[in-house]
Amino acid sequence: MARVVVMGAGVAGHTAALYLRRKLRSEHEVVVVNPRPDWNWIPSNIWVGVGRMRARDVVFPLAPVYKKQKIGFIQAKALAIHPEGSHTSAQAFIDIEHTSVDRTGTQEELAYDYLINATGPKLNFDATPGLGPTGHSLSVCTPKHAEQASDALSELITELKGGQKKRVVVGMGHGTCTCQGAAFEYLFNVDHELRQQGVRDRAELVFLTNEYALGDFGVGGMTFSQNGFLTSSQQWAESLFRERQIHAIVQSHVQRVEKDRIHFETLAGDEDSIESDFSMLIPPFKGVGLKAFDREGEDITDTLFAANGFLKVDADYTCKPYEEWTAEDWPKTYQNPTYHNIFAAGIAFAPPHPISIPRVSTKGVPIAPTPPRTGMPSGVIGREVALSIADMIDHGAQSPQHTASMARMGAACVASAGAGLLTGTAAAMTMYPVVPDYERFPETGRSIKDTYGEIGLSAHWIKYVLHFVFIYKAKAKPGWAMLPE
Amino acid sequence: MERYDDRIETAMLPTDKTLKKRTSVPIQLVRFVSLNLRMVRMAFKAHN
Repeated sequence: MARVVVMGAGVAGHTAALYLRRKLRSEHEVVVVNPRPDWNWIPSNIWVGVGRMRARDVVFPLAPVYKKQKIGFIQAKALAIHPEGSHTSAQAFIDIEHTSVDRTGTQEELAYDYLINATGPKLNFDATPGLGPTGHSLSVCTPKHAEQASDALSELITELKGGQKKRVVVGMGHGTCTCQGAAFEYLFNVDHELRQQGVRDRAELVFLTNEYALGDFGVGGMTFSQNGFLTSSQQWAESLFRERQIHAIVQSHVQRVEKDRIHFETLAGDEDSIESDFSMLIPPFKGVGLKAFDREGEDITDTLFAANGFLKVDADYTCKPYEEWTAEDWPKTYQNPTYHNIFAAGIAFAPPHPISIPRVSTKGVPIAPTPPRTGMPSGVIGREVALSIADMIDHGAQSPQHTASMARMGAACVASAGAGLLTGTAAAMTMYPVVPDYERFPETGRSIKDTYGEIGLSAHWIKYVLHFVFIYKAKAKPGWAMLPE
Repeated sequence: MERYDDRIETAMLPTDKTLKKRTSVPIQLVRFVSLNLRMVRMAFKAHN
């Protein structure tokens, strides 16, 4: 009997757990360790942040789902990995600390035969002084944060209706942030809500971003074919900003956030600041801080993890300039190269390097997006890792047989630009592959046919429908496995 | 503010006709089907 432990029940980890249970023979055990008791459909947090949904609409409790699926569930956070066991036993295990109400703080060891690190990101608000809900900026990264943002937005609208003029700044809280799409969505939803409330003319909206140019989205931008022309996502995004009368400051690294002022520096090395009455800034990500120890108790964290805290996998981590990056640098099986029974899925794997051009300011400050791992790729990686492990356990495969390279994978993203059954719009984008491959697609790095962008009400309908579809799938309701990641 | 990206000021501006098409229910119903087919195609491409 084998036990597979999945650390993290986000999109990647939860998907992996469901497929493991589906594929593995019943005598094998699947156990999920997650600090929170619920699953969150993160893409809809944006709508919580503008009051279109409540937190309860975007989460559901995990325990009943796992009980029905015969998946073990421990509400705890993982602290450390012992891939070689201890001096008393060669059995690999992880250290966990319970977070459930009745067992908070209790620590124990959990043995594993296979381990999936799907712990996602630590929201690193500490990287920028004053950043975050305990500081001077809002967040939509969690349902609770998003509800706080919604409350703040309601107050703002009241003040605007009272005749006050305000400036709203939304964007990236650090020069190395990812998730530009989420900030973009939130800003355009705020714009939409202000218009619906009849107060848009009293608010100045600004997008503060680390992208070199609008439309980068952390993937180096895209090229679309539209109306007989090749157009860039930069032109496409700029058009939307002009249409909605939203300003943008690009190439910026936020240095610190004060109550009503954001200080930043630019690629050109200039330092500046902007007054803000309402700030929502995405934090940079890093790994959750897992440690690793060998059999003798020696710290081997650097063996398993990259400096950013994400797990090393089968990627090419050779330090090389942008001009030498290739699609082959990206992992395929997500297996740790040192401990072959450890895998990573979703945001938890260490990318070999960014996708966007890595730029550094004249003062040596990195100001460029880190690569996004959005819902579709994360779910696919979780699934394929699960299938590989199932093969290794049940069919004796000596190596992972399933791959999910982001350079061989497409993605579809729907970025809401305002909610409403008849008034909403969204930007629907597809790209293939996620990581550009200039050997296969010399002109733009991606397939022109499969890289596409469109703005309209239909895209909003799609995002709204997907909210219910993915929650249905995550609850493992009948037919869930037939729905794509 | 002088820091604002001035490219936005001269970016393509959709016409009223284009904006109306974006929220026209009959047109968007057709687009809904088309976009879903594109996304399903992407989902299959995600299978490598």
